[in-house]
Amino acid sequence: MSKELIRLRDCVMSYGDEVVLDHINLYINDKEFLTLLGPSGCGKTTTLRIIGGFLSPTAGDVFFDGVRMNDIPPHKRAVNTVFQRYALFPHLNVFENVAFGLRIPKADRDGRKVKLPEREIHQRVMEMLEVVNLKGFEKRPVSALSGGQQQRVAIARALVNRPKVLLLDEPLGALDMRLRKDMQIELKRIQQEMEITFIYVTHDQEEALAMSDTVVVMDGGRIQQIGTPEDIYNEPKNAFVADFIGESNIIDGIMRADGVVEIFNRRFQCLDKGFEKDEPVDVVIRPEDVDIVDEAAGQLRGTVTAVTFKGMQYDTIVDFYGFKWLIQTTDYCPVDSRIGIKIDPDGIHVMKKSQYSGMFGDYSSYSEEYEELDVAEPEDGEEDGSREGGYEE
Amino acid sequence: MKRSNHVGSRLFIGLVFLFLYLPIFLLIIFSFNAGDSSAVWKGFSLDWYAALFQNRLIMESLYTTLLVSLLATAIATAAGTFAAIGLYSLSKRRRDALLVVNDIPMMNADIVTGVSLCLFFVAFFQGWGAFAQWFNGVQDVVELPVRLTLGFGTMLLAHIAFNIPYVILNVAPKLRQMDKNLVDAAQDLGCTWMQAFWKVILPEIKPGIVSGALIAFTMSIDDFVISYFTAGSSTSTLAMRIYSMTKKRITPEVNAVSTLLFLSVLALLVLNNVREVRQQRRAERQEIREPSFFERLSMRFSQPALRWARRGAAAALACGFIVAVALLTGATYSQPVVNVCSWGEYIDEDLITQFEDQTGIRVNYQTAESNEALYSLLKSGGADYDVIVPSDYMISQLIEEGMLEELDYSQIPNFELIDPRFRGLPYDPENKYTVPYSWGTLGLIYNANMVDEEPDSWGALYDSQYAGSVLLINNSRDALGAALLHLGYSVNTTDEAQIREAFELIAGASRRGVFQGKVMDQVFQKMEGGNAAIATYYAGDYLSMLDNQADGVDLRYVIPEEGANWFVDAMCVLKGAPHYDNALAWINFIASTDANLANMDYIWYASPNTQALEEYPAYYEELYGEELDPELYEIMAAPPEVLERCEMYLALPPATRALYNSLWIELGI
Amino acid sequence: MRNKRGWFAFPYVIWMALFVVIPIVIMAVYAFTVADPATNATQASLDNFTDMGVYLSVFLRSFWLAILATLVCLLVGYPVSYWMAKEGPRFQRVAMALIMLPMWMNFLLRTYSWMSILENNGLLNQLFRAVGLLDLLGVDHIQMIGTSGAVVLGMVYNYLPFMILPIYSVIVKLDGSLLEAARDLGADSARVFSKVIFPLSLPGILSGVTMVFVPSVSTFAISNLLGGGNQMMLGDLIELQFLGGAYNPHLGAAVSMVMMAVVVVCMVVMNHFGEGEEQAVML
Repeated sequence: MSKELIRLRDCVMSYGDEVVLDHINLYINDKEFLTLLGPSGCGKTTTLRIIGGFLSPTAGDVFFDGVRMNDIPPHKRAVNTVFQRYALFPHLNVFENVAFGLRIPKADRDGRKVKLPEREIHQRVMEMLEVVNLKGFEKRPVSALSGGQQQRVAIARALVNRPKVLLLDEPLGALDMRLRKDMQIELKRIQQEMEITFIYVTHDQEEALAMSDTVVVMDGGRIQQIGTPEDIYNEPKNAFVADFIGESNIIDGIMRADGVVEIFNRRFQCLDKGFEKDEPVDVVIRPEDVDIVDEAAGQLRGTVTAVTFKGMQYDTIVDFYGFKWLIQTTDYCPVDSRIGIKIDPDGIHVMKKSQYSGMFGDYSSYSEEYEELDVAEPEDGEEDGSREGGYEE
Repeated sequence: MKRSNHVGSRLFIGLVFLFLYLPIFLLIIFSFNAGDSSAVWKGFSLDWYAALFQNRLIMESLYTTLLVSLLATAIATAAGTFAAIGLYSLSKRRRDALLVVNDIPMMNADIVTGVSLCLFFVAFFQGWGAFAQWFNGVQDVVELPVRLTLGFGTMLLAHIAFNIPYVILNVAPKLRQMDKNLVDAAQDLGCTWMQAFWKVILPEIKPGIVSGALIAFTMSIDDFVISYFTAGSSTSTLAMRIYSMTKKRITPEVNAVSTLLFLSVLALLVLNNVREVRQQRRAERQEIREPSFFERLSMRFSQPALRWARRGAAAALACGFIVAVALLTGATYSQPVVNVCSWGEYIDEDLITQFEDQTGIRVNYQTAESNEALYSLLKSGGADYDVIVPSDYMISQLIEEGMLEELDYSQIPNFELIDPRFRGLPYDPENKYTVPYSWGTLGLIYNANMVDEEPDSWGALYDSQYAGSVLLINNSRDALGAALLHLGYSVNTTDEAQIREAFELIAGASRRGVFQGKVMDQVFQKMEGGNAAIATYYAGDYLSMLDNQADGVDLRYVIPEEGANWFVDAMCVLKGAPHYDNALAWINFIASTDANLANMDYIWYASPNTQALEEYPAYYEELYGEELDPELYEIMAAPPEVLERCEMYLALPPATRALYNSLWIELGI
Repeated sequence: MRNKRGWFAFPYVIWMALFVVIPIVIMAVYAFTVADPATNATQASLDNFTDMGVYLSVFLRSFWLAILATLVCLLVGYPVSYWMAKEGPRFQRVAMALIMLPMWMNFLLRTYSWMSILENNGLLNQLFRAVGLLDLLGVDHIQMIGTSGAVVLGMVYNYLPFMILPIYSVIVKLDGSLLEAARDLGADSARVFSKVIFPLSLPGILSGVTMVFVPSVSTFAISNLLGGGNQMMLGDLIELQFLGGAYNPHLGAAVSMVMMAVVVVCMVVMNHFGEGEEQAVML
């Protein structure tokens, strides 16, 4: 496959006692679309800033093409960044913002500083504005642009320098839903067109699944799982990943034998193997993998406590022995009705117990959790920043 | 309802502006006055503008003001911006602590800042003197100056010190508002930190820097107090010059200089405002238009090919400015110099020019308000004078404290011209330290149109019938002296009871509201303008007043029957004066007959020069084509029988001096 | 990366220590010592402070006149700021420029021009005479110069802009929707002002009051020129000890220290009022 471009080895970032990154090991391939996904404060922005050269790791190494880059300042890295709130230069117009990087004299092979001819600058800027659909806007002050347009300027400004890697720090965080969807497609198109590596930071799992070749799920300064979107969704490594990616019911279970897991004292067929006999495990059951059947026919029986119409399906909350599940079906079951459920063996995913066990997967406080996911502030860069004591208040 | 409200509010604002601007307009109007009063209009003229450019004391101080303000603004802006960026790279806790210290100079009263800096400089100079002496002793490669004094440098430092906080206060919010990612973005796009600073940070915080610089400049221009305490004796800003002038007589040249200042600032403001309005309109309309001439010019200059030319031009301008400043200051400082401190309006200024032309020595001429003020100035270490002209009793005090240098009379041949009457006087019995400058009497001046009967006793000063119209001389020795004479005591008494009795006389009158004020040289405008009826002052100054009295004012001078004080002011050289030889040259020049005649004619104080004293009536007649009124001449140069009745001040012992001081302050509070 | 710029602050820290902190320390040293007039030897002593009772009246007068001047500035300056902020942007810009403009002429020049207005034979008295006011009162002149009124007038005249600018800059930034919200909730104009505008403009008032009060309480040039030496204020007292007739820097430093302390206490108390409202609403 494609070759490895960037590697982080045992990267640790700490401020005093506070450990922000805890032994991160990660490699990124050329032309890959890799997403760092996680809640705010998980260390994803810090990781990005280490790659960008804005931070040096407290311990560990960063390699680009096999060369150690720890102390190389950002302006000497073949990496460009699209910042969270774009960081466009307010005193320059669209053209000058995009041309900014091109106007900086670069050292050529002999180490002499060379400036690009004005003609070439003009040509490259115009080309890039065309790529991001901003032709005709070059003379506008950036403050006169809409959020989406500013976003495109920021992308153009970064890409015009032909970086090997483009870092994107929650680039869509400030856009509204619809624009966001459009830009996701646009970004993917640009990435494929330019054939470069994108390292994308987001807290939005949908975005991550939709765009990435590889997703890195992070929490608490640690990588929880690396994999393709499908792997991550279908085979979460622990309760955190299972919960963070999509909806899931996570239930305590006991592995009775290979392919047999016991939940609520009932045995279910599953596909998972390789656990100790009678090992306590976490069991993930995705809401869409549950079939609602008559109470009598069900493997488990419970009471419907809430139903929400979601367009494509009903989100039904069902109480099983005091534990609330989320079930997504097209069938409508009225509140307080007794139902039974059936789960196919491939609908059950068994995970080892981890530090996250018991923290997720119960829908007792369903509505709140749902909201929480929606508004998980895109501000984690802010948090990281204040620890450095930079320019911000 | 709404409408009338609007009119009302505008009317109020208008009235406030009238209040703010009326005095300024009056100032401007009277700069065109043909007469020299600032209250009586005598016709239009531009004379004062012509006189202004001739008046080197004002012009020099204007230059000093502008130079110190510009330099302080430039340095403080650069340093403040630098510091602000540094502050914002620190952790919040440390930054906040530093910002508290940063607030101190802004929150502190100017006088506290000024005084503390003054004490700091003086303490530093003492330490430095000891260090330099030691250092010069252990090696002889570099010769460090041992004696440092307050001056332009310390004033500049003080200005920078109080300007920096304002710059930081203005730059800091811009840094705070700046998107923290901008610098990252610039670096990400290939800038080094330095490039990012010039290309991104600077344009972003420029408004803050500009307003910071503007406020710093305003504060510098507007400052008087801090300069007053840190400039020492050898430099004066315009404000300090005016302050010392208000002590005597302000000539409308000051109005002229204020008018020029005001108009230039107004012009700048209007230009700037017009430009801003235009820009705003353009921004509002998003108007597309042909670039103006200046914009095309600047566009041309901003073309990369011309960037080096542009940079060169900027560098050349900066260098030019520095070179100009260096040349100007260098020219003034490399030249031999003599620092003279005298009293206000106490010399014919042409003499200064003549001396400079003859000898090539530049005269740095400063004035002090009174003997006591001069003494304070010398004590506080703020003075680097060579020649001072104190009065008799102060001279003996200075000699006693070892603050004067013996004179080399072989370099002052004109000393021979001094009348023997004025040599070997009690203050300098062996004549080792002094060359007399002038002499005279201290008597009563009154406006004959404001008193019922002509006073001939010091008692008039304490008479309730003149309540509110008497000016007390603002100098403990003279004020108490008059009271002592009135009570029949000697002016040189050390008897505490007598002094206290004299003090009670004054304090009682003060309680009864007899005194309109305590004045020194302000007595001129007060008496000339008919603003007060009775004052104590010097004979020579009375004669000056005669020339300037307003209509309906009839000033007279009398030596009261109780007798009066007669005084000699003499030139002396301070111990360790840096320009000893130049000082002697100056003293010799002033002691000459010609200089004495010119001075006598200008300041109306009697000369100690025998020839000059004799020749003056003839000199006057030749100059003005009319005979000198012998009565006036007698007032100027009191005849021996009058002098008989007068007593000279002697130096008082420290205890008595301390008593004088404390009584005097008690009177003020 | 950014942390490395921290050293930028370093020269300034040294500068501040040198030109802000140490001078005040030296002043304190002076304040707590006395000099023997005969020998010039200094020794530690509290005499400067214990003997200060004599000057109580100077302290009282200074604070009284400064408070008076501050009040007048506030009463005049607040309406001006308030109404200015309601005017159009053009009006505001011109008004701001007009307020700043006199500051570029040194304040001594402006004070001096008041001298010629207030003199017994000055412009104002001449005007009164011309309109027959003086004859009506049967006096030769109205005594204005040399009174405490003249001193307060001089302070108000010189420091009024320092009151207007901060208040104006706070009011002009008030969110219009706040006022609409207040109206919407049923407040009439008076209530909108007293419950919303005034409390929100407090930070401006506080910094205005500080900026007028501090120079007023410590002035010596104004009281000298317009008070005719009759109205000795703290500034005069201090100046007298340093460059005036009575040379005693120890006493001068002590008076300065006490003045500084009182001012600081006043500021702390006042800022306590405006709890949490950050200072420095300048321009």
